[in-house]
Amino acid sequence: MSAAAELPTKEAHILKGHEGAVLAARFNGDGNYALTCGKDRTIRLWNPHRGILIKTYKSHGREVRDVHVTSDNAKFCSCGGDRQVYYWDVSTGRVIRKFRGHDGEVNAVKFNDSSSVVVSAGFDRSLRVWDCRSHSVEPVQIIDTFLDTVMSVVLTKTEIIGGSVDGTVRTFDMRIGREISDNLGQPVNCISISNDGNCVLAGCLDSTLRLLDRTTGELLQVYKGHISKSFKTDCCLTNSDAHVIGGSEDGLVFFWDLVDAKVVSKFRAHDLVVTSVSYHPKEDCMLTSSVDGTVRVWKK
Amino acid sequence: MGSDEEDFVFHGTPIEREEEIASRKKKAVAGASGNLRTLPAWKQEVTDEEGRRRFHGAFTGGYSAGYYNTVGSKEGWAPQSFTSSRKNRAGARKQSISDFLDEDEKADMEGKSLSASSQFDTFGFTAAEHSRKQAEKEQHERPSAIPGPVPDELVAPVSESIGVKLLLKMGWRRGHSIKDVRASSDARREARKAFLAFSTDENTKETPDSLVSETEAETSLGPQFSEDIKISESTPVYVLNPKQDLHGLGYDPFKHAPEFREKKRSRLSANKEVGFRKPLSMKESLFGPKSGKIAPGFGIGALEELDVEDEDVYAGYDFDQTYVIEDEQPARPSNDNRLRLTSKKDDVLPGFGAAKNSDYSMERFNPPKIPKDFVARHKFSGPLEAETKPTVSAPPEVLPPADNNLKLLIEGFATFVSRCGKLYEDLSREKNQSNQLFDFLREGNGHDYYARKLWEEQQKRKDQSKLTLDVKLSPTVQKMTAETRGSLLGEKPLQRSLKETDTSASSGGSFQFPTNLSDTFTKSASSQEAADAVKPFKDDPAKQERFEQFLKEKYKGGLRTTDSNRVNSMSESARAQERLDFEAAAEAIEKGKAYKEVRRATEQPIDFLAGGLQFTSGGTEQINDTGVVDMKSSKTYPKREEFQWRPSPLLCKRFDLPDPFMGKLPPAPRARNKMDSLIFLPDTVKATRQVSESQEPKKETSIEEPEVEVEVENVERPVDLYKAIFSDDSEDDEDQPINGKIQEGQEKKNEAAATTLNRLIAGDFLESLGKELGFEVPSDVPYQEGIKPMEEERKSRSKPEDSSDKRLDRSGLKEKVEEKTSSLTLGSEEEKSRKKREKSPRKRSGGNDLSSGESSGDERRRKRSNKKDRHRYKDSESDSSSDYHNRDKEGSRSRRKRREEKRSSHKKHSKHHRTKKSSSSRYSSDEEQKESRREKKRRRD
Repeated sequence: MSAAAELPTKEAHILKGHEGAVLAARFNGDGNYALTCGKDRTIRLWNPHRGILIKTYKSHGREVRDVHVTSDNAKFCSCGGDRQVYYWDVSTGRVIRKFRGHDGEVNAVKFNDSSSVVVSAGFDRSLRVWDCRSHSVEPVQIIDTFLDTVMSVVLTKTEIIGGSVDGTVRTFDMRIGREISDNLGQPVNCISISNDGNCVLAGCLDSTLRLLDRTTGELLQVYKGHISKSFKTDCCLTNSDAHVIGGSEDGLVFFWDLVDAKVVSKFRAHDLVVTSVSYHPKEDCMLTSSVDGTVRVWKK
Repeated sequence: MGSDEEDFVFHGTPIEREEEIASRKKKAVAGASGNLRTLPAWKQEVTDEEGRRRFHGAFTGGYSAGYYNTVGSKEGWAPQSFTSSRKNRAGARKQSISDFLDEDEKADMEGKSLSASSQFDTFGFTAAEHSRKQAEKEQHERPSAIPGPVPDELVAPVSESIGVKLLLKMGWRRGHSIKDVRASSDARREARKAFLAFSTDENTKETPDSLVSETEAETSLGPQFSEDIKISESTPVYVLNPKQDLHGLGYDPFKHAPEFREKKRSRLSANKEVGFRKPLSMKESLFGPKSGKIAPGFGIGALEELDVEDEDVYAGYDFDQTYVIEDEQPARPSNDNRLRLTSKKDDVLPGFGAAKNSDYSMERFNPPKIPKDFVARHKFSGPLEAETKPTVSAPPEVLPPADNNLKLLIEGFATFVSRCGKLYEDLSREKNQSNQLFDFLREGNGHDYYARKLWEEQQKRKDQSKLTLDVKLSPTVQKMTAETRGSLLGEKPLQRSLKETDTSASSGGSFQFPTNLSDTFTKSASSQEAADAVKPFKDDPAKQERFEQFLKEKYKGGLRTTDSNRVNSMSESARAQERLDFEAAAEAIEKGKAYKEVRRATEQPIDFLAGGLQFTSGGTEQINDTGVVDMKSSKTYPKREEFQWRPSPLLCKRFDLPDPFMGKLPPAPRARNKMDSLIFLPDTVKATRQVSESQEPKKETSIEEPEVEVEVENVERPVDLYKAIFSDDSEDDEDQPINGKIQEGQEKKNEAAATTLNRLIAGDFLESLGKELGFEVPSDVPYQEGIKPMEEERKSRSKPEDSSDKRLDRSGLKEKVEEKTSSLTLGSEEEKSRKKREKSPRKRSGGNDLSSGESSGDERRRKRSNKKDRHRYKDSESDSSSDYHNRDKEGSRSRRKRREEKRSSHKKHSKHHRTKKSSSSRYSSDEEQKESRREKKRRRD
């Protein structure tokens, strides 16, 4: 249990403010702040380390499903049930741009490294790339090779990776113009990339997390024990890539060892479904959000 | 009070009440406008004559201006004329300016309305009006003896036009003609002359008829003057001279040189005397009609005094014609034409004489004599008629040989020979001299049976051909399926769900091919279905159609389509090649195992036409099919597939990445069906086809072909060419894979060029053979082992080549051709050797590779790219159009694809030796790059 001791299992703060389910909680680039969004159609900016609500952003017409901050903390984007991707200014709280085009709910958004584009994953089976630099509100690219809802999107410097309910994790490599599709056979709920960029962790709806080698498409490890069958629950890796974290629908949070897939630790984080887990980029700190409307900050 | 005040003495200044002062001041200001000027500008006021303040400050206007400064009414700008257009349409009233003017402004406007002043009122209309009004007014003022308004006639216009005034000043009197004045007044002779010139100049431009009379009248001025007077008796002479020259209005070419006017006039009259015939001048004599006007542009100043005696100096230049570039009379051009025509009549340029004796004499060739028995219709001395004749007598029926295999072979061969002709038999006899299996060709075992079978087949064919020829129906019509009808109507055949069950039906017997030929109606149904479902040439409907036709006949034993298809533009050899391919493909289709590979081999370009839809549509379909199966076992997950994906250029820009597709064709919209993909065939490719086809007639010069190909290459892919030339200079990390790829492409290109050569030679032979046979069939024994169709094709192609060497001793020719082409294709020697190296392993693996279908992806991929190269180069060698693909496909798209294939193979290569951690070096396996670069450099040197 020495490994478990290093894990952030102690509750440091409860961030209360959201009315209704919190659907996503995300650290910013340096981990000093956190953005959460939820069914109350708001996005909230917190200082998770002090447990303070800094700002509330309201403009979405429906629930907000995902949010992501640029690396320079100046802008963030959000998406949700209103089929739009919002591009916000952090300090003024104004919406700079609204990207319309998705024909359904938008499940996930991500900035690229240089924050020049937003990639959104939608219920309309497409990934759309939106340009933040120009004034065009048309998507730069529409990737619609998915056969079902795209649940999650991750960007690297050169690739766009999307996970879809059709059971595939598709990597779109811009350098070589290839689409690499890894079919997992199970609906992919959430994908997250390891910090060394070699692996993709895919949370599938058969209550399994799968770790894939990105270069070969090999299945490296399978992580089981939690429940993930009907909710969009997040999974992630710790900043050291030592552990895999997954939220469970029964309110537990699981820690697996990356290599031997043992459950290192599990604890009740929330009363209800854990919708999102986010790990601090440097410290041992974790955010969990839940349908119960709270966001909890976990530390060692 | 005034007097009283004088008595008082005042001390000091009286205190005045302020109001009084203010009012007085105001008054003073209002009264003495002169004082106003002393005031500062901002205090001055502008008033109208009624003392109203005219200008108000922008913000005080509303207060002090009232509506005096506006429209003049409380309602302001409410349009007076507003009427509901619904009720009262016609009553739309037009507002005039007077509606918006003040009274004083109206007064100003009075009399300023636009009208001709009396001074210029030539015709006196306004004056008349005016005078009538005046009269009316006067009548009102002082009633005259005659009551009522004065009749218009009585009130005549008083004023005269300025023209009349001028005339009067010039000495003209009313009631006289203008010419009259000229005649009478000697004192103004010069003025008269000018005037006259003026008028005559205008007269010359009249119609020829009037011209005659006028000019004559003018030239002979003196004697005819009295006539003139009579003519122009009445004063107002309306000169009707329509403008007929091309000068600007009012431009007088003779303004400063009235002498020339005279000259011209005289010439004109002279012309007329000759009857519109111009006097002979240099114009016509030497320089042609136009040059005359250009030449005298210089030195005209010296010719101001051009007289009759001067003319010869300039060799009769028609100067007054040319002095001013002016168009002549309208009658002239036709004249000129006529002149030109007449001068041309004896085929001698003006100024030249016809030679007495000429060296040149037209050689005449008589048309070739048509032989008397010539029928003006081409009949192919096809194998059909030729072969059927000698075997009139039916050989006796013989029992089939005991060996079933042999029997089948014999039957199949008989069908073949009957269809292809005797030549085929000879050919294969020669070829299979040592082959025991073909003993029946040489009086061996089963020869009798063979003879009998052959005869039967020939009889059958004869009957069929007769039948079809009589009815004049193409065999397609024999059994009209929906498919064929659709293709006849130009419809797009529906893409069937490619179920493997279809092929499994046909794949029952592995040795089905020759055996089933005889029974036309029993078994052919299933195999035909299979053929319908499996479309190895689905990217080219025409070819697919031919292929289907081929299959149909193959299984039906009907008349060859070649007879009906001859019409189309394919050359004999091309058709022979195609036939080869068809055979191979059909064989492959029959073999269920081979099916996949054929499709893969043939369909890759389609994906590209589909615009990056998926990596291999056929392949993925299959994989998906199997995937469904695998889903149950779920052991194979995760499964990796790769597709082409084209990031938009902007996306690449935003990610700071070079566009991998830079310079490539823009992505075609995703093709929903095959039709779409067809539509997006680039035109250039079609053009290529035409080019290559047009090359076909002069096939003997087969050396040309590579050149043609190269040229086409350049046209289609300039960017890649540039890359190939320049790219090794750029050392960017991102570029390196591309370089390597290009490098590899170069290799492939050369290799393919070498292959092309071989094929050309083979094709050369095939052409000659094909002319005799009508087509070519694989000369090998029907494929027993699961050889890859491409392999077969290759083999079969090389075999005729061999036989050609034997028979025709063409090896010398071959060498020659090779030599020539080696100089053309760069480094072909080297490439050839490489090709050989590469070829041999492929051949080795060919047999089991296909059947297993599970060779390493690496291998397969390489093979595929090789194949692709071949396809591409086949395009160039127009004689060998036969392929699984048609040529259209071989556009840049397929090329692009090939690139990627190569790249992917590249990648795969490296991937195999990669550990998980080394993924960063995924795209640039350094050794390969270095190697390729080195090689490229070598080649360049």
